[in-house]
Amino acid sequence: MDLQARKLFDRSLTSISIMAVVLMSLALLVLLAPIFSRGLGAFFFRGTSEHRRLALEQFNRGNAQAVASEIRIVGAARRPVYEMLSAFEDELDGMDSTRRQGYRAQLKEIKSLLRELLGPLPGEMEAVMLRQQYGQTRWDRARVKLKAILYSEEWDYSDTRSMGKKVLRSRQKIFAGTRLDPMFPYMENNLSRMLRPRFTFYWRFLTDLSLDSHFFGGIWPEILGTIYLTLGAMLLAIPFGIIAAIYLSEFAAGGRLVSLLRVCISTLAGVPSIVFGLFGLAFFINTLHLSSSKSVLAGSATLALLILPTIIRASEEALKAVPHTYKEAALSLGASPLRMVLTVLLPAALPGILTGIIISMGRAAGETAPIIFTAAVSVGQPLKLWETISQPTPALPWNIYNLATEHQAVDEIRHVQFGMVLTLVLLVLLLNLAAILIRARISKKMRG
Amino acid sequence: MSEAASRLRRLTAFFSQGFLLLATALSLVAVLLIIAYIARDAIPFFKLRGLKELFSSTAWFPSGQPPEFGALAIFIGSGLVTLGSILVAVPLGIAAAIALSDILPYRVRQLVKPVIEILAALPSVAYGFFALVIFAPLLQNRGGSLLSMAAWLIALPLGLLIIFVISEMAVRSVREDVAKAARLILAAALTAILVRGLLALSAVLNKVAIGSGTNALNVSIILGIMALPTIVSVAEDSLQAAGRELREGSYALGATRAETLFKVIIPAAGSGIIAAVILGVMRAVGETMVVWMASGNAAQIPTPWFNFLSPVRTLTATIAGDMGEADQVLGSGRYHVLFALALCLLLTSFAANLASEWILRRQQRRLGGLK
Repeated sequence: MDLQARKLFDRSLTSISIMAVVLMSLALLVLLAPIFSRGLGAFFFRGTSEHRRLALEQFNRGNAQAVASEIRIVGAARRPVYEMLSAFEDELDGMDSTRRQGYRAQLKEIKSLLRELLGPLPGEMEAVMLRQQYGQTRWDRARVKLKAILYSEEWDYSDTRSMGKKVLRSRQKIFAGTRLDPMFPYMENNLSRMLRPRFTFYWRFLTDLSLDSHFFGGIWPEILGTIYLTLGAMLLAIPFGIIAAIYLSEFAAGGRLVSLLRVCISTLAGVPSIVFGLFGLAFFINTLHLSSSKSVLAGSATLALLILPTIIRASEEALKAVPHTYKEAALSLGASPLRMVLTVLLPAALPGILTGIIISMGRAAGETAPIIFTAAVSVGQPLKLWETISQPTPALPWNIYNLATEHQAVDEIRHVQFGMVLTLVLLVLLLNLAAILIRARISKKMRG
Repeated sequence: MSEAASRLRRLTAFFSQGFLLLATALSLVAVLLIIAYIARDAIPFFKLRGLKELFSSTAWFPSGQPPEFGALAIFIGSGLVTLGSILVAVPLGIAAAIALSDILPYRVRQLVKPVIEILAALPSVAYGFFALVIFAPLLQNRGGSLLSMAAWLIALPLGLLIIFVISEMAVRSVREDVAKAARLILAAALTAILVRGLLALSAVLNKVAIGSGTNALNVSIILGIMALPTIVSVAEDSLQAAGRELREGSYALGATRAETLFKVIIPAAGSGIIAAVILGVMRAVGETMVVWMASGNAAQIPTPWFNFLSPVRTLTATIAGDMGEADQVLGSGRYHVLFALALCLLLTSFAANLASEWILRRQQRRLGGLK
């Protein structure tokens, strides 16, 4: 090969490997961008008058007089809609029966959509479910519902070669010539007067209870559950982890037993997380009977086993990074090895150990598979501290899965799902950021 | 010091060390308990149904009357998804590791490190949510154009590199004064063929309609990204461990960076890179949430078997999904078969872990001997 070819080969390797790094960073960006942008929508959004009514009636928040006067104002804007509706119903009675049949089904659909958009129609009985007592609390959702009122979605299968196409059909045309005809343009033009969207910063999303299985309210039970599970796991894993690290770095004198222990630690780190979940179910619940069924305690114990290897490895690294001179100075002053460890080694290695602990904390908070069978339930109230021994809890990772796949109205509560994901991701990122900062401080100190 | 005091001191040292050892042995105990308890609940299944059905039949109806426990399709689903994630993660991961260890300057490296850390730290359920809520609809609606875009992105640079190597090899025996022109002509012709081929391929791919966005392709890509941090960091460590001396020796002989990497560093660090791949792949095999949420969970063998666009079901997703219902009927075949699947998973991960451990240790010893 001539020199030029070798150079070109070298350059192409460089560019391919740099492209790999760029692709990796891009993947992270693509992953995080929608989670952040849509997750913030759970906190910052345009709240409607229904949102303020809900906040007052369910959480006793906001100015009662202001809300009452707002209800009057939006009521006045909504009245023409209801009047047109009842006028049309009167007109319906005078029609011949075939035409009436056709309109009836359509009218029923429109009425139920109106209920979802604006809340119960006047003169109707109080609904049982909370979600039926209020209209749309968010302006973006209200716009979606308005579109559903204006256009009905139909599927066109006339082209047999390809998949069915979605076709929007204007409802106004269906009702053309009737007394309901003017309702559609009125709705389209006056929706903001009927709902009065205002910019809302709903920080209490983090601290509110969930109402009617996450249709309204916040995610406090999940956050609290995650905190309990994580702290419980740390409480159980930290002592064992640090002791094991001290033994392995200071006292273990080679030999078969120690290498067996090391193999076990790395094996434990490689066990798939779902197997930990099954083990927790079979051992902690079905054999030890820590609790009669799922509980925070059983979940924490399972998570503790999962993060034990991480803590041991990080702590051992930190202990090994402490300069030998420290130890030798302590020992030469006559301190026993144990005393040396407690008074010299541990304090010097503490920041490093802390880094490992924080990182494994993020791992424990985000793990789902181990808590499916041992601790997590989909719906639950926030637990008191003593109840964690025997009660299961909702938790962020599990409920993200649950709301995104098993909830009865997955599409209606996307903002809650994204809000939960953002909360969990931010929690993990902040923990990692803290670890990075501590590490930076250590390396600065080490350099002088 | 009196004899009694020194004895006391030795005694406390002995007991304190014994206590430390006891606490350290928790990992050993945990591993043994995990094996014991998974096996304990798996054995009744094998007693009940034997080995053959699980590994050879594709009829998976654990709640049927009578129940059938043929998990072949599930094993193949796991295998397919793993293969896909290897295809995504291994080339990307090794290339990124090379960039981090040998090519990027120190400052840029410090910027890239947090990217890897964040990718590793993100909870698996967040990946799964992304796969289900954002990536799956995207694949379903714009699958064809996405595929053809990906084909261009991957095939063009790789194809150009291969063309370059081929034309280089071809003109080797040609006389020197015509070699340059011959190489140029050959390369131009091959490039034209490549572009034509890619145009044809992207025309085909553009027409591909993806029936469901929750399929093996979706999961493979996401799992590949999840396996990246492990592969990059372990492979980078072993590339770095090859040491300065080897590199400087090679440079001193006049080798370029690429030649140094391919002829000296990668052979020296090769076993470490293999260990990195094993560890990364095991992360993909053992991952639950992503596959549970976004693989489609259909217990069928795709036709043809490499059809990445069809939904699949994996071991981990089966355990997670079926346990909720099997929970109530403790002691039934339905409950125990999940432990049998978990045992397979566990044994695979043990084997992979021991292998990577052994490889890494051997490399350490070898590189240690070099210095």
